[in-house]
Amino acid sequence: MVVVDAREQFLTALRGVSDPEEKRKIIGREFIRCFEQAARDLVASTDGSSDGSERHPVEWLVQGTLYPDVVESGGGTGTANIKSHHNVGGLPDDLQFKLIEPLRMLFKDEVRKVGLELGVPEAIVWRQPFPGPGLGIRIVGEVTAERLSILRAADAIAREELTAAGLDRDIWQCPVVLLAGVRSVGVQGDGRSYGHPIVLRPVSSEDAMTADWTRVPYDVLAKISTRITNEVPEVNRVVLDVTSKPPGTIEWE
Amino acid sequence: MTEALAQLAARPVLVVDFGAQYAQLIARRVREANVYSEVVPHTMSVAEMLAKDPAAIVLSGGPASVYADGAPELDVALLTAGVPVFGMCYGFQAMVQALGGTVAHTGLGEYGSTQALVSDLSSTLFNGQVAEQSVWMSHGDSVTEAPAGMKVTASSPGAPVAAFEDDERRLYGVQWHPEVVHSTYGQQVLENFLIRGAGLAGDWTASNVVEDQVAAVREQVGKGRVLCGLSGGVDSSVAAALVQRAVGDQLTCVFVDHGLLRSGEASRSSRSSLRRPASRWLSSMPVSSS
Repeated sequence: MVVVDAREQFLTALRGVSDPEEKRKIIGREFIRCFEQAARDLVASTDGSSDGSERHPVEWLVQGTLYPDVVESGGGTGTANIKSHHNVGGLPDDLQFKLIEPLRMLFKDEVRKVGLELGVPEAIVWRQPFPGPGLGIRIVGEVTAERLSILRAADAIAREELTAAGLDRDIWQCPVVLLAGVRSVGVQGDGRSYGHPIVLRPVSSEDAMTADWTRVPYDVLAKISTRITNEVPEVNRVVLDVTSKPPGTIEWE
Repeated sequence: MTEALAQLAARPVLVVDFGAQYAQLIARRVREANVYSEVVPHTMSVAEMLAKDPAAIVLSGGPASVYADGAPELDVALLTAGVPVFGMCYGFQAMVQALGGTVAHTGLGEYGSTQALVSDLSSTLFNGQVAEQSVWMSHGDSVTEAPAGMKVTASSPGAPVAAFEDDERRLYGVQWHPEVVHSTYGQQVLENFLIRGAGLAGDWTASNVVEDQVAAVREQVGKGRVLCGLSGGVDSSVAAALVQRAVGDQLTCVFVDHGLLRSGEASRSSRSSLRRPASRWLSSMPVSSS
């Protein structure tokens, strides 16, 4: 297990970019660059070993591709025609790795069953889905360190309150989205405020193919809203997304 | 892996996707009946489909009318290959087109919930159910005459022929969408087709795929080294666990902190806390020896 700190690398690569597809592509590419570097480091660190079998280059990369991705990207027309679907948003053309996709025949709920059988801890198996590009696609607009910290604070509050209300298993996931390019007028204390809106997007689903917005109790929503506007100074408005999928996707970008 | 498991994985129920948004849902419903299924596009040739040695075939819904411009056609060869077939909605009407019944513009389209009246409660599809059931419809044209040899077993206000069955040729169909929850007995109709109609055992589970994949990964990788990005989420964790089981310490996991993580997942302390448990549960997992 290797940990790579690539925070600067990603922020630099994302500077000035607000197009969602472009963001996904950049994040996917930087992920692969990190894996390539990790592979080189790994080979270098074991090169000196006397056992020749350790000197194999790292040829293979595991991807957690699921069956819906396979169907959506190639319709199951036979392995030759299926585009490899990177869950982070597109693999670079010059990819050096060969891919292993051991979950490509499974739906999400089946992956969870298999995980439990394989001994993966329950806390991981039942974790709500979180996109590979992370908060990068939950900031509508350019990704900056400051916006990330605003969103992180609001997201933590929403998660805390939903968990406290015992709603984790009812909710498939709840993206919290920062509309970084939007400002609205508010009043806080004695002064006028001019802050950003935060969108709550709680959805219920069996498998993410279709989803409906979760009917979160009003008192829970009220608590989340009050806490976010009180505790995150840059946010002066909290709105709820009441769109099903289709037509809306779960994530905003 | 035993031969029986290989056999199970090798003989899928093919869900032929006629362009309905529901093809994946049908595949899930088939798997819920403990039968392995895969989605294939309607553009795949019959020869290619049969080359997959399917245990049965399900034809999905699709466009509103078999008479629509560019409406996909069904090759009758798929219905005469001896493989059990179940058509739903568009797939049902496409069977009629191919086998020689009548699909008519009756002006009696049905959209949404409708009552279907089952006329034979001992039939293959409707065994163990009630005569009047809520079904989810979405059709403009209606089948007015079933193909020769088909027994009509249900009707609805807008569909004189709403279900037919032929146990000889093992061909079945319903006008409605049994895969959606609004069809009260939908799952039972589908399971009756799979178990009673097609004679399948219904003993597949997702674990069968695991054994297959462990063997496949081991063969693919040989002595090579493998990298896996671990995000802390379920997909990458289960993928890593499976590959670990196949090739043991030829696998190295990488956690990339891209700075786009949520609070509590990105801090230095949580990175090390994520790191330790992950390496603990991964390294404690047995490498399968077969």
